[in-house]
Amino acid sequence: MATLLKNHRRYDICSDLEKALNRVDFFRIFHNMSLRFGFDHFGILQLGNENDACMLSNRLTLHDLPSGLAEEYDKRHRFGDSVVYKSLHASGISSVWRADDLHLGNGSNLLAQLGFELLLCVPVNGINGARYAVLFLGDGDDIERQEHFELCYDAIAAFDYFYRLVLSNKAGLGLTPRETEILRWISHGKTASEIALIVSVSEHTINSHTATILKKLDVVNRTQMVAKAIREQIIQ
Amino acid sequence: MTQTIHILLVDDDPAENVILRALMKKVTSATIELHYRETIDEALAFLLGGNAVHMVLMDNRLQPQADFRETVPAMRKQGFIGPIGVISSSLADPYFQKFEEYGADFRLDKSELDPTAIEFILREYVTKG
Repeated sequence: MATLLKNHRRYDICSDLEKALNRVDFFRIFHNMSLRFGFDHFGILQLGNENDACMLSNRLTLHDLPSGLAEEYDKRHRFGDSVVYKSLHASGISSVWRADDLHLGNGSNLLAQLGFELLLCVPVNGINGARYAVLFLGDGDDIERQEHFELCYDAIAAFDYFYRLVLSNKAGLGLTPRETEILRWISHGKTASEIALIVSVSEHTINSHTATILKKLDVVNRTQMVAKAIREQIIQ
Repeated sequence: MTQTIHILLVDDDPAENVILRALMKKVTSATIELHYRETIDEALAFLLGGNAVHMVLMDNRLQPQADFRETVPAMRKQGFIGPIGVISSSLADPYFQKFEEYGADFRLDKSELDPTAIEFILREYVTKG
């Protein structure tokens, strides 16, 4: 992704960011980042309207929390009631939380409810202004000032790449040769598993390409995708 | 009742089988059965035998000379359309940037393989949907 200049320093993680291609690569980057700074887990949280009903599990776009933890939390608690959630809508400053913070109170203490001691929230933005937060969770006592600054910088840089490469709405962008090939097979009525066999990749990859094509053509299903592709002469 | 997830590990170093088998035991969210084959030929024969495989973890370099640019297409040619992850002790070689072109789904450094990473991979490629 040669979009950035040397002016965007990125320091030690520059090489990893430049090589990142898919969600697993970003999982590796954020997971290693959390371990490097003494945390156990990370989560990238999509922020919306503060008053919208929301569940933690639905808002996590990428995370390495133990399987089922966010879903269990949602069964018992309301994420929208937590002080952390509210604070993310009140300020863009990075924040550090401890489970024994007195002002977190009962029923709104996200950390205690999730079973961690320390949480660091780094509010971040996509280049179009979409708001997210990168969360780091662990059982450490606190984080030093210098480490806090470094982690914020790394999280902002990594999220920037993640957003541009994975999350952003790519409407209007051109299709790659592989995407055009898949689109052509879809127009011939082939299923994802059939296309996977034809082009020698996994069914998961086909579904991932299909989702990207939907985004790029700004359509909602395969029928509309094919119709628009023909109308715009992407395929015959 | 959780479904058993069958993972095929292809690695010419039997020690990796021991290490990965121990790692898989620490994964609590799924029941994993790890199948191990030392060579690509044995792995292809395993697939051809009709054995259920939900995901393949492929060591990058297999003896004598093959790397994933040969082994992953060979698996795809056999008709395997499940996820294939390439694992290596170093992802530094530039050709790793083209892993998707060769039909692989993801790459992982062996030093990054821990129960959290395995749970993530399973969530992304096997259990989700």
